[in-house]
Amino acid sequence: MSVARPEFDPELKAGLAVVGGVFPPTITPDLIPFMRRSYASPPIEETLRGRAIEREEHTVAGHRGDPVDVSVLRPTDAADARPCVLFVHSGGLMFGDRFSGADLVLGWVETLGAVLVTVEYRLAPEFPDPFPREDCYAALEWVAANAERLGVRRDRLLVAGASSGGGLAAGTALAARDRGGPALCGQVLDYPMLDDRGVTSSTGQFDGVGVWDRVSNETGWSALLGEARGGPDVSPYAAPARALDLSGLPPAFVDVGAAEIFRDEAIAYAGRIWAAGGDAELHVWSGGFHAFDIFAPHTGLARGMIAARDAWVEKILAD
Amino acid sequence: MQELLGRLSALDPRASLGLRVIACFDELVVGNVNSRGLLSAAASLAGCNAGYCQDLPARMMRVTPRGELVDGPVVPPPGSSTTADGLTVWLERSGPAHANDAIILERLTLSMRIRHGRGLRDLDNRRALGLVLDPGVPVADRRTAATRLGLAPGTRHRVVAAPLFAVWEEHPTAAEDVVPTPYGPIHALVVPHDHPPVAAGPIGTGVAAGVDHLHRSFRTAVVALRLCAPPDTPSVDADTYGGLIGLLADLPPDADQPDVDALAEVMVHPWGPSTVDALVRAGSVRQAARRAGVHHSTLQQRLDSVSGTLGFDPFDDGIGRTRLGIAYLAWRLRTSRVLDLPAPGRPRS
Repeated sequence: MSVARPEFDPELKAGLAVVGGVFPPTITPDLIPFMRRSYASPPIEETLRGRAIEREEHTVAGHRGDPVDVSVLRPTDAADARPCVLFVHSGGLMFGDRFSGADLVLGWVETLGAVLVTVEYRLAPEFPDPFPREDCYAALEWVAANAERLGVRRDRLLVAGASSGGGLAAGTALAARDRGGPALCGQVLDYPMLDDRGVTSSTGQFDGVGVWDRVSNETGWSALLGEARGGPDVSPYAAPARALDLSGLPPAFVDVGAAEIFRDEAIAYAGRIWAAGGDAELHVWSGGFHAFDIFAPHTGLARGMIAARDAWVEKILAD
Repeated sequence: MQELLGRLSALDPRASLGLRVIACFDELVVGNVNSRGLLSAAASLAGCNAGYCQDLPARMMRVTPRGELVDGPVVPPPGSSTTADGLTVWLERSGPAHANDAIILERLTLSMRIRHGRGLRDLDNRRALGLVLDPGVPVADRRTAATRLGLAPGTRHRVVAAPLFAVWEEHPTAAEDVVPTPYGPIHALVVPHDHPPVAAGPIGTGVAAGVDHLHRSFRTAVVALRLCAPPDTPSVDADTYGGLIGLLADLPPDADQPDVDALAEVMVHPWGPSTVDALVRAGSVRQAARRAGVHHSTLQQRLDSVSGTLGFDPFDDGIGRTRLGIAYLAWRLRTSRVLDLPAPGRPRS
């Protein structure tokens, strides 16, 4: 029997005619070099051209003290200490860079006056767990420790990430809670990659279609965890769906497509936060494939997703 | 999506961006997407604003590449496309036109006409090849469309089916278009029945047929395409499978196929696909063992396991092997990935 699955939204389905050539539905390890070329972000100078945003480059001590690049993007007219977003980029844990998908969050710098710190966490498989997550956590510690110098408010720190970056952002929030780290005012988890076990029904529904199918997800988690994937010894900071306790976390914003493998794990994560007495806002977008706001921001569905997210971030961050 | 198109051509300079634009608008039309959605797609593909206006009733809409509405009226720029029935459509390109502007504007105009019901007096708004390949279209209309494509009555042709990302070593000059199918948009070409094999992959070549039955050639070409497994099998000719391909083409996608379900259990074994392939092609256990490159006692053990799972012995009589053969082809179709892996970076041969 062929697998029953929700249809893609018609505008998004049309977009797949173009997206499929750049981002194949099924990513196997032999495609990692191709994806690193294909998913590389456009030059940041072009993205920032004509925007009232200043960029500074820093090198911070990542996992094991190794140097990790961090970019700080701030409004040119910032006069006082500003709210701050630690941004964790997408790319299946294996590709992308700190500016991948950044155009969707630059509006927070321009309209809310937020300072955006984006971290070049190291990528699997060359740098498996815990490198990516500990690089992100180190960036958070660095922001908090240097708040004054960076001109950001320690009491208004938000983590945000999409896809693999969403999973890492959730892991960073868990680690900050457990380690007594910097207090966060929120976590934005866009279609987050939370669960290495691949057992949800949505995971089984998308094989060879859309963006980021079951096999791609296995490729990503295997790159990060190797043989440990799906086994008993996976850290909740790497795969936040593994966390036994979701209480005491900062307010969460979770969005996801109904036509993607991460649908069920995203819904479950929000549900467990509520069950633990926490604050979560969940949006499930009918007909949405993975990361459709990145690939097809012009569509009605993507405009809705972006507007809902921006409204939540405004509520949390704005002066 | 303009940026994605740019990345596409940087990654694969031979990629046909025009076909992707056509496929994109085909899906928008099939999905009944509204004017704003159509203009948004055009603006996104072009990387500049797109707009339309009409006189009666007076309406205008302009949309940015991000799908946002732009306020304020504007005089339709030079190069706008105006249809005979008063619908004007444009791209607000400053500077020289880009390579894909013409095809984007053409497809946008057509899609807007259909959305606004302007094409209703036309028999069908689809393009000629889409009509020829659809058995639901009355045969007289298919013949008219075929004549427009230069496919004369009494001649025999084959349809070649390819995904949009196929690599063409040689691209025959032929009637061609993108045709929507349940498996997504398929690039279809019509070549004379005695055309030498087309050097491209992945492709499927359909059975030869006259104009009235080209829809059948197309359906067999799509089955042949789905039987491809690059890099080992970059192209499949429907003729290789004779009458079987017709059976497969006629199988409803949701048909109950207990033999295929059982075979899927066999295929889970690492030895499954190669062993079943050998069993289907060989006349005896010994021949099958030679084909699979294993000792005949090993193959006998596997055959026992296969028979146990399927509930019949493929070598018991001729029907058993036929059942296995058909189930094997249907399983390959069910698990076909050839249309799902459009990665320009993947080595293809």
